Amino acid sequence: MVRIEALSKRYAAGGTDILALSGISATIGEGEFVCLLGPSGCGKSTLLKIVAGLIPASSGTISIAGRVVTAPGPDRAMVFQDYALFPWMTVVENAEFGLAARGVAPARRAAASAELLKAVGLGEFAAKYPHHLSGGMKQRVSIARALAVDPMLLLMDEPFGALDAQTRFVMQQELLRIWRAYRKTVLFVTHSIEEALYLGDRVLLMTARPGRIKAEIPVASPRPRDIGSVEFARLRAQTLELLSEEIARSMEQEATAAVTS
Amino acid sequence: MSEATLARAAPTPAAVRPRRRPSRDFLLGAGTLVAFVLAWKLVHLSRLFPPWAFPAPEQVLGAFVKTLESGELLKNTWASVARQIVGVVLAALVGIPGGLLLGASRDARAALLPICRMVYPIPGIAWIPLAILWFGIGFKSTVFVIFFTGIWPILFNTMAGVTTLDGQYTDVARVYLAPRMFYVRKVLVPGSLPFIITGIRLTYGVGWRVIVGAEMISSITGLGFMIDDARWQLRPDVMVAGMITIAMIGWVMENWAFDWLERVTIERWGMKSQPR
Repeated sequence: MVRIEALSKRYAAGGTDILALSGISATIGEGEFVCLLGPSGCGKSTLLKIVAGLIPASSGTISIAGRVVTAPGPDRAMVFQDYALFPWMTVVENAEFGLAARGVAPARRAAASAELLKAVGLGEFAAKYPHHLSGGMKQRVSIARALAVDPMLLLMDEPFGALDAQTRFVMQQELLRIWRAYRKTVLFVTHSIEEALYLGDRVLLMTARPGRIKAEIPVASPRPRDIGSVEFARLRAQTLELLSEEIARSMEQEATAAVTS
Repeated sequence: MSEATLARAAPTPAAVRPRRRPSRDFLLGAGTLVAFVLAWKLVHLSRLFPPWAFPAPEQVLGAFVKTLESGELLKNTWASVARQIVGVVLAALVGIPGGLLLGASRDARAALLPICRMVYPIPGIAWIPLAILWFGIGFKSTVFVIFFTGIWPILFNTMAGVTTLDGQYTDVARVYLAPRMFYVRKVLVPGSLPFIITGIRLTYGVGWRVIVGAEMISSITGLGFMIDDARWQLRPDVMVAGMITIAMIGWVMENWAFDWLERVTIERWGMKSQPR
């Protein structure tokens, strides 16, 4: 239902032409939870932003339900790494942002946001401002904001990257619960192997820059997954081996860049 | 003005501060004020300056009461305050939308910033003769001068607020398909508000600085006129009474109006950086 075809991205930085993404092709089925895993700087967030329509691709296409997309649309919503809540809006106003932007009547907005805030466990906090909330709670608001516009595709850019380990684990379980309840297609960017293998139906492993799809790892085991199991350990070891080559290359690139600049 | 904050504060839990300041701070502030008045009195008693040029605190208080009773003080204060309010409001009405435009559009910056930067350093006082030719003596020429000197801080601050606004906010607005005016109202203006409020504070301060000068030259009412007029009557006590009136109006605006504005907006939202 989501098709990424021969997608490349180059950009100019400091007079040099940099190839960030090269020949990315992938398909995501309806209702599927796909994780995009890669070393830092591999362009996975760039890929997500291209799918969101926030930045243009240099070549290649993205189509959703058969339609080629080049700009943001009602079929997609995004959850950002550092929440990106508006500090001047209350929790409920933040959750309703997408609906308000689309001109949905206040009564319908209120009904939708009340239900969603309850679903993410923040019913009591509707009138609070974001700076009163913890990181995990802020990300719940951000998820409610994304679900409120009822998108087909939910794009998540390292949403739990800034959270502590415990909150992160809780949020991962919460996300799976929400995903089951709302049946969304999810594209989830992360640099954590455990997170990718715990959440995804499938993990797309990316190479160091220029980002390509290096491997596709299906995760067949039923949820909730046992991260202490032999099966999980085997998969993790296999993924780690693939990823560590790329991490080494990525660090090499960074070191070269630091020397030459 | 000194505590005007230009930094965009990270919304941290530490930003929640109890409203009541400790009374120790109040005592220290009040103590310094009392010490200042005592020192003033001592200088007066020492005859360091001739008494006709250096009034004692109680003489100033007397002049204050007398001008208050005669209605002279209130009349002139109101004349100044009315000009100040009209001038600052006009500066905000032009400066805020102008700053939003300059901040949001690269072309607007390229087209307008050079001329703004050339006009901006001209001191407000320099506009007064021209303003008198155009508008005559009194209300209009003073308002014009306040407007023309007051617009810059608010214009440049609003622009800075927009250009430094977190790009992620714009991404959110785009992902959720916010129309342009919705984006301006709900994201751009509130997101730039810490800078806009600082700009209004500065504009207000600049306004008072220039209004007194303008009234000395081009007016027959107002606190500036009152202070200048006292010179001809050799009444330094009236001069100082006028100056203290200006100080008190400034203090009230800083501590009540602007602080209140910040409390109900950026402080409530956790966007104000706190003094350590």
